[in-house]
Amino acid sequence: MSEMTSVKKSIICAVCIALCYVIPLFFHGIQNAGSIFCPMHIPVFMCGLICGWSYGLLCGIAGPVISSALTGMPPIAYLPNMVTELVIYGLVAGLMMKLVHTKNTYLDLYISLVVAIVLGRIAAGIVRALIFTQGTYSMAMWVSGYVITSWPGTLIQFIFIPSIIMALMKGRLIPERYPKLQIEGRN
Amino acid sequence: MMRQMAGRYIPGDSVLHNIIPSAKLFSFILIIAAVIFTNTVVGYGAMVAFTVCVVLYSNTPIEGLIKSIAGMLPFFAVIFVMNSLFYSSDNPIWKFWFITLSKEGMIQGLNVVFRIAIIIIISGVLTQTTSTMGLMSGIETLIKPLKYIRVPVEEVAMILSVALQFIPTLIEESDKIKKAQIARGARFESEKLSERAMAMLPMIVPLFLSSFKRADELSMAMESRGYRGAKGRTPKARESLDRLSVMSIIACAALCALEVII
Repeated sequence: MSEMTSVKKSIICAVCIALCYVIPLFFHGIQNAGSIFCPMHIPVFMCGLICGWSYGLLCGIAGPVISSALTGMPPIAYLPNMVTELVIYGLVAGLMMKLVHTKNTYLDLYISLVVAIVLGRIAAGIVRALIFTQGTYSMAMWVSGYVITSWPGTLIQFIFIPSIIMALMKGRLIPERYPKLQIEGRN
Repeated sequence: MMRQMAGRYIPGDSVLHNIIPSAKLFSFILIIAAVIFTNTVVGYGAMVAFTVCVVLYSNTPIEGLIKSIAGMLPFFAVIFVMNSLFYSSDNPIWKFWFITLSKEGMIQGLNVVFRIAIIIIISGVLTQTTSTMGLMSGIETLIKPLKYIRVPVEEVAMILSVALQFIPTLIEESDKIKKAQIARGARFESEKLSERAMAMLPMIVPLFLSSFKRADELSMAMESRGYRGAKGRTPKARESLDRLSVMSIIACAALCALEVII
């Protein structure tokens, strides 16, 4: 993935920001779908994993802000909390992809994804408890909101994100993480 | 799905159309601050009067704004009911198990609904009176100070500009994929919410693949035309702060100050 030019990374980041607006549109007609299926999380993870932490961070900020400005979803009241969560997702996913090198792309993706999901949810809970809903937020509310309600979304992220990234690599739309020729050359 | 895209730019020559984008964005931020500070009846009155003036001066169709508010009515109802029934209060009107109906809860619910409605209207007017490129140049001007902490401002503005221009294309693309899925038997109109949600999932992978294909083509086209990053690129036209723009900032700052004082 290091072969990608900064122009290509910028354009992929722009597409992911646009997808942060487009994908949740499918789910707007379904009650409470945002918190169950977490559709906006997918492009942010993708951006962080493919382009790196700085682009993931930008996608985590701009995605929800643009969606909120154009459709009112997420509502302004939930926006700061959501931005915090998505920023951590994009940032950590990008950093983990830089740090983790197991020589297995799927394993790298899953490790980065799990760490980003866990840290993002913990950070969102801490920020909510300390800043946005100070005094009224409890551990039970965090477990209910970020673990129980959103389990279908987490499952979708685990199934779809690595598969989409692998499909993009196979389709040569993004460079392979461990190109076969390079490994053979080393051996 | 195209109908859902609220706040599409409508070319015009109204007072709001003529304010420079960076001043309009800064005024928008001041209005959001004013909305957050609003908590008295007089404050609500001032905010409503200001919003009506903004809508009238924008010279944009009011029906679109009413429709966007009407579309949010179920959401507003949920917010109001949740606040009315679950707000912790010492003087409940009616109490049953963990449900507490209180006057304070109802006021809080109305507060939240009012704030969201005003922000939706104002943001609708902003996007209806400012072109995409205008918004981007406005954002670029406003985030320019971030250059001092080494944020690549031009790059960020370029990414946001491309993102906004991609939205209609991706909506069209998703519409095509949706129709293809319907032809294959997907049940988007099912009465069961779970079935409707599950029907959305097969759309995600093709949408990502086609979007990344478009991104690949665009980046290749940009590179082949010699684009090497936004740094050092000259703007199409330089904005200058005119009297109208200064007046709009002063009016919004006055409203914000008024809401803080009362």
